[in-house]
Amino acid sequence: MKLNLNLMLAALLFGALSLQAQDRVIEIRKSTTRLIPVSITGLTGEAADVLKFDLSVLGIEVADSPEYIINGSDNGRVEGSLTPAGASHPLWLRAYAGGSVRAQAHAFADDIAKELRQTTPIFRTKVAFRLSRVGATEVCVSDYDGYGMIVLTHDATLVSSPSWIPGGHSLLYTSWMNNKTEIYEHNLATGARRVFAGYPGASFSAEVAPDGRRVAMILSKSGSPNLYVCNLDGSGLKELTFTRDDDSSPCWAPDSREICFVCRSGRAMLQKISADGGAAVTVHAGGAYGNLTSPDWSPDGSQIAFTSGSRPFHIWVMPASGGEAKMVADGEDPCWAPNSRTLIFTQQGNDKQVLSLLDVPTKHVKTVRQISGSCSEPSWAR
Amino acid sequence: MESKMKNLNLFRVLVVSAALVIGVTACHHKPSSITPIPGSEGPIGPVPTSTGPGASGTVPGETAVSPVTETTTGIPENGNGKYDSVINGPHNEDREIFKNDTVYFDFDSATIKASEESKLQDVATHFKSSTGDALQVEGNCDERGTEKYNLSLGDRRALAIREYLVNLRVDAQRIKTVTYGASKPVDSGHNEAAWSKNRRGDLVLLTPKK
Repeated sequence: MKLNLNLMLAALLFGALSLQAQDRVIEIRKSTTRLIPVSITGLTGEAADVLKFDLSVLGIEVADSPEYIINGSDNGRVEGSLTPAGASHPLWLRAYAGGSVRAQAHAFADDIAKELRQTTPIFRTKVAFRLSRVGATEVCVSDYDGYGMIVLTHDATLVSSPSWIPGGHSLLYTSWMNNKTEIYEHNLATGARRVFAGYPGASFSAEVAPDGRRVAMILSKSGSPNLYVCNLDGSGLKELTFTRDDDSSPCWAPDSREICFVCRSGRAMLQKISADGGAAVTVHAGGAYGNLTSPDWSPDGSQIAFTSGSRPFHIWVMPASGGEAKMVADGEDPCWAPNSRTLIFTQQGNDKQVLSLLDVPTKHVKTVRQISGSCSEPSWAR
Repeated sequence: MESKMKNLNLFRVLVVSAALVIGVTACHHKPSSITPIPGSEGPIGPVPTSTGPGASGTVPGETAVSPVTETTTGIPENGNGKYDSVINGPHNEDREIFKNDTVYFDFDSATIKASEESKLQDVATHFKSSTGDALQVEGNCDERGTEKYNLSLGDRRALAIREYLVNLRVDAQRIKTVTYGASKPVDSGHNEAAWSKNRRGDLVLLTPKK
């Protein structure tokens, strides 16, 4: 208790003194697109590993000539400070209580990332993905870095397209467990699940709007795979596209009013349509060639990430309104983190697929924790 | 080499422009040749089921909750008329009878090729002389599309086969379509020889279980 009090006093003191360092900090922050060199001292074992991995995901690397000094300890709980190089006092000194050492180290890393990259915290978020092992595919959930994995289904059948319902308590996914292509809703707290959409023909690739009210999905009950929306309780089904060609891969704009999806008409292209219906408009992705698939709209609304090509695949990012696209990585099926900066995507490894994290501005790639089996179709809880 | 590059670039420009034109013109109207899936006019909406034995429940990072009750209600029938019982009820799957009639597709295409038409004519002939059985058409893709894209393409292939058979007077109610995307390759190789075998529609005869 006495230690806590001392720590609080120390933090207040440092907070006041650190004002002097502010000018220098602002100077250093100028560019978000370059790596930031740091030094890490005092932390050991798992706490140090977690911190290094997390910071590296945002292009903050342990390197010579550090611009920031990160000092900490992990005796029972994680404590740490962040100090601009050359400053005599840290910007802040914080201690973390509760949860595991991993969780505390993630929290420390979130605080540093907020300071150095001004982004929404992501190091304590979850991802869902598809795990393929011999004979079956299952839906899994893990921490964003691949730790703490839970295999959610045990149906020994095919599954596809796991997708979070905002709030992170339920998933939608496509399953063939009844020898049909159907969308299931799975409550993570209770394990209860139900058929969300099991229409004649196939029902697949569901994505819930960020406001949690409507679901976009592909149904072929009309005789062709077309885009539909319905309410989260399944009511109010409405068909949005009516082509003979196959539509796929819907994703939502952050305002929950527009949907970006893939329309294959000669070749696959990205289109946008109002979730209330109307004409679909092709989104021009300048510079990208071949089939353009698997779009994902960044939570801040500014960008759309997508995949081009046909093995090898490439990941691109473009302004959400269309325009010049930039190739950012080799891989497929990108999904934005809540910070609108990091992408998780599927990368072709040696004889299997792995999930990797891309820091879009620096193009820095980190592969998540390896497990046996092939991982694909990542969905970031946001 | 350089002229090859130029040609390639020109080709790209042409393909992109053509695609844009097609995109603007082709993606908006409903063609008349789409065959609706039987039962699609029936009651719609989510179908409640209980937790199946395969479901596990956990809040991420928290204690696992064990699976709840066993299944009490199955997936309801989807109104395939007199073929309901064979399609949705207990049935035998004969994967051999139409093995030589597997329909193959070109890359990124769901068009029935001329070379495949006689296979579907054979299948149609079978259904003219038989009663009580039904057909499951399974659309499959090679690995050169992303997964969600392949689900739609596989579905479109299965539906193209269905449409062709319906035009040969096979009762639409008799045909069930499934898409597996690229999840069920017959050849796991990473070359055209393997891919060409994987871009296919498998035809499975469903007969009532006695």
